[in-house]
Amino acid sequence: MAIRVNPKLIEEIEKYGAEDVTKCYHCGNCSAVCPHSREPFVFPRKSMRNLQMGLEDKLKGSLEPWLCYYCGQCSEQCPRDAEPGETMMSLRRWLTSVYDFTGISQTFYRSWKAELFTILVVTVLTGIGFFLYGFSRGDIRTYGGPTAFLPSSTIHVFDWIMGGVLAALLAINAGRMWWFMVGRQKGLRIPFFAYLRKAYLLPLHFFTQKRYAMCERKGPWLVHLALMLSYFAMLVLIMFFLHEMQAGPRIDWRFHAVGYVASLGLIGATLYALHGRWRKRQTQYRHSHESDWIFLVLLLAVAVTGVLQHVFHRAGWDVAANVTYVVHLMGVVPMLVLEVPFSKWAHMVYRPLAMYFADLLVLARADKQNDASAELARKAGVA
Amino acid sequence: MEETRIGVYICNCGTNIAKVVDCEAVAEAMGKLPQVTVARVYKYMCSNPGQDMICQDIREHGLNRVVVAACSPRMHERTFRAAVQSAGLNPYLLEMANIREHCSWVHEEQDAATAKAMALTRSAVLRVAKHEPLEKMSADMCPFTLVIGGGIAGLTAALELADAGHGVYLVEKAGQLGGTLARDDLTAPYLDSARDLMTERLTRVGQNEKIQVFLGAEVKKLSGFIGNFNATIRTAAGNGTGEERSVDVGSVIVCTGYQEFDASRITHYGYGKLPNVITSFEFERMLRAGRIQTHEGRIPQYVAIVHCVGSRNREFHGYCSRVCCMTALKYAHEIKSAIPGVYVSDLYIDMHAFGKGHEDFYRHSSEVKTLFLMYGKNAHPVIRKAGRGDDGERLLEVNEQLSGEVIEIPADLVILMVGMEARQDAGEVARLVNISQDKDGWFIESHPKLDPVATTTEGIFIAGTCAAPKDIPDSVAQARAAAARILGKIAKEKIEIDAVFAEVNEDLCSGCRVCNELCPYSAIDFDPVRRRSHINSALCKACGACGAACPSGAIKARHFTDQQIFAQIEGVLS
Repeated sequence: MAIRVNPKLIEEIEKYGAEDVTKCYHCGNCSAVCPHSREPFVFPRKSMRNLQMGLEDKLKGSLEPWLCYYCGQCSEQCPRDAEPGETMMSLRRWLTSVYDFTGISQTFYRSWKAELFTILVVTVLTGIGFFLYGFSRGDIRTYGGPTAFLPSSTIHVFDWIMGGVLAALLAINAGRMWWFMVGRQKGLRIPFFAYLRKAYLLPLHFFTQKRYAMCERKGPWLVHLALMLSYFAMLVLIMFFLHEMQAGPRIDWRFHAVGYVASLGLIGATLYALHGRWRKRQTQYRHSHESDWIFLVLLLAVAVTGVLQHVFHRAGWDVAANVTYVVHLMGVVPMLVLEVPFSKWAHMVYRPLAMYFADLLVLARADKQNDASAELARKAGVA
Repeated sequence: MEETRIGVYICNCGTNIAKVVDCEAVAEAMGKLPQVTVARVYKYMCSNPGQDMICQDIREHGLNRVVVAACSPRMHERTFRAAVQSAGLNPYLLEMANIREHCSWVHEEQDAATAKAMALTRSAVLRVAKHEPLEKMSADMCPFTLVIGGGIAGLTAALELADAGHGVYLVEKAGQLGGTLARDDLTAPYLDSARDLMTERLTRVGQNEKIQVFLGAEVKKLSGFIGNFNATIRTAAGNGTGEERSVDVGSVIVCTGYQEFDASRITHYGYGKLPNVITSFEFERMLRAGRIQTHEGRIPQYVAIVHCVGSRNREFHGYCSRVCCMTALKYAHEIKSAIPGVYVSDLYIDMHAFGKGHEDFYRHSSEVKTLFLMYGKNAHPVIRKAGRGDDGERLLEVNEQLSGEVIEIPADLVILMVGMEARQDAGEVARLVNISQDKDGWFIESHPKLDPVATTTEGIFIAGTCAAPKDIPDSVAQARAAAARILGKIAKEKIEIDAVFAEVNEDLCSGCRVCNELCPYSAIDFDPVRRRSHINSALCKACGACGAACPSGAIKARHFTDQQIFAQIEGVLS
């Protein structure tokens, strides 16, 4: 059955950053040079082709974009400047919006103004909310103790509620991703046991990003790993050890040492990326979608205000510490509520999932082939 | 009679001959033959010292025949003929024995190769003894030229000749000049207007007094030979009677062009039956009218361009028509500029962007978002009616090769890029001017690479698409090349006719006319009054067919007489 093309798809994905896809004339240099491209997931040429032709349905279920880490070698080798790397990046943005059932992601990616406006609204509301809460029950001149402006117990509960909502949103979107990539494929059987057997891949890819290490240039992998581990460490500290983190003014080195290293990692990596995107010297930083800037600036703001409120608190400037803390939350809340489920942050879930699905699909196809050859052998009477 | 004194020269050709053939032994054996005065070996006989050696021997030893045993006469016969002539010998008193291509290059065993080289050289020695001095003849060169076809090639050739001050008769079958280019809108890849190109040519032709244009005219008859042709031009007069005119010309340039492939022959595209499935020529007309629209007068939102219609296809034409790829890209460009937001798909087999500026143009077309789809040679797109609610009026099903997917694309307008084919009347033209056609009907050039505008008939040249599909620059270049060849001949004023040709001994000729039909060069006339055949020496290429066939032994081929051939055979066998 012939596949009906969507002639408008290319225009649609241009809004997600792809610019030069139509220049590609399919020499295949990109797929040849890419260290990740191997059977049965050969890219980026194939993805470029599907996009050029408007095979929307195929692209929706493709996991190749998540196997790409955008080292940029493909774009450098491209004789037509068709920017295959940037196309894969744009496809990741698009896929994020495809998985997102709320449609918010789509709105954000297609209009940076909408994204920025929503962030500002959430920021302002967060600010108003926390100031009102603080003044209603505490004293802005105290950071800790019973009259604390923002007691860690309250924030702790707030964090867990927010975390729960985010996890639920991400889980639904991840489920949709599974459906597009695996679930809806007819005739594909993946035994439940295989899901369990391969489950170790999720934490493995999440914590090591070993596929990124397959890229020829190791620098970007190290920076990315540092950023991710810092972020994760910070998340654990906040979700489980918020009380210890906020206690003071004495420095509790057991927790704070980790916090310092993580802050350093976050700020360093964010500055590195911002600088890279500004200078445009490295291929992967040459093209920046508005969402990339928003994400980086927000992350930097959150990291810096987090450090500042900590410093002010230790310095005994409780008013400044409390105000900065609210400002910090004004960044944290939109970042977690908007960026994690609906924008760039979501890739921390989708990427390991895609690699997990990739292994499952290979497994399932091999099984299918074995079944087919067994069937043939049975028919031929050699079984 | 003067004593025959033969000099034999064996060439080593570096090691080309010497490594297999014992050249010294050949020279020694030749030296023992009667009538051989000297026999020498030299490293490179064609070099200046080699030639000097022969000349010196001619003078010192009074040689009156020379044999050079070396490479093929195709390579150096001219060289050695000139050399012996410079020493005062008639050039036809030279014979070459080919002991390189026919011997050392094809054999490994030394003794046998040496024996064969001896046989070949001996045969040349015996033959040369029978040679007679021959003189080249000459004829006047008429400075007028007949140009058949008034397209871009014909117009250019006519202008080139007329600008040099020579008269041209330009015969055009249609009622106006311009040919197929006059039907085009813009030209790829620089998008300059075909009308501008044409107007420039037409104005200049119109203003040039040296060019006499015959419109609605045909060449009915052509007789004679290079420098001295006579053409009968028939003009269709208004009342249908027509008028004939006879003109003398020295050369003819055939620029009869091509015809477009009939798209209705490929039934699965439904051309002629389905509305909005049109040919490139019909689309060109739309472009010139300045309005791209469907049959119903709507602006198409989806346009599909299908390449290689009739070309590169075993069923129709196996060759590439060369201009369609760039024309298709030009269409994509023009459609994109005329209709904002239009979806243009370009269905090709291979994109041939070989010329100057073509690759850039191809790149540009993909930058303006033309969707390029590659279909297989044996899987042509299928055109179907679209369903209700589909984009576009039709759907094209394509087995897309770069993705391996079978897809359906929408189309309101389908443009078939029809290829070029030899004109239906090309056979008549070929017979008229006595040139050959290849299997596809294109006129055959004298040499595809080294002599692309001359034909096997001297004085008849071909230029433009009558020889094979080509684009405007190539057609113009060929037209100018043909004109240059003719100008060279006009400048010499005389036509040199090779001394080697066949003659009819009228006393022996019985008038059976066997030779008349055999001659591949139409060089033999028959005089019905005297009932004798006559060979036109200027047209004769000395192939020998007539001489071998003549039952009366009346035809003698000069330089290939019976005695010469027998001596040659004897030399090989003895």
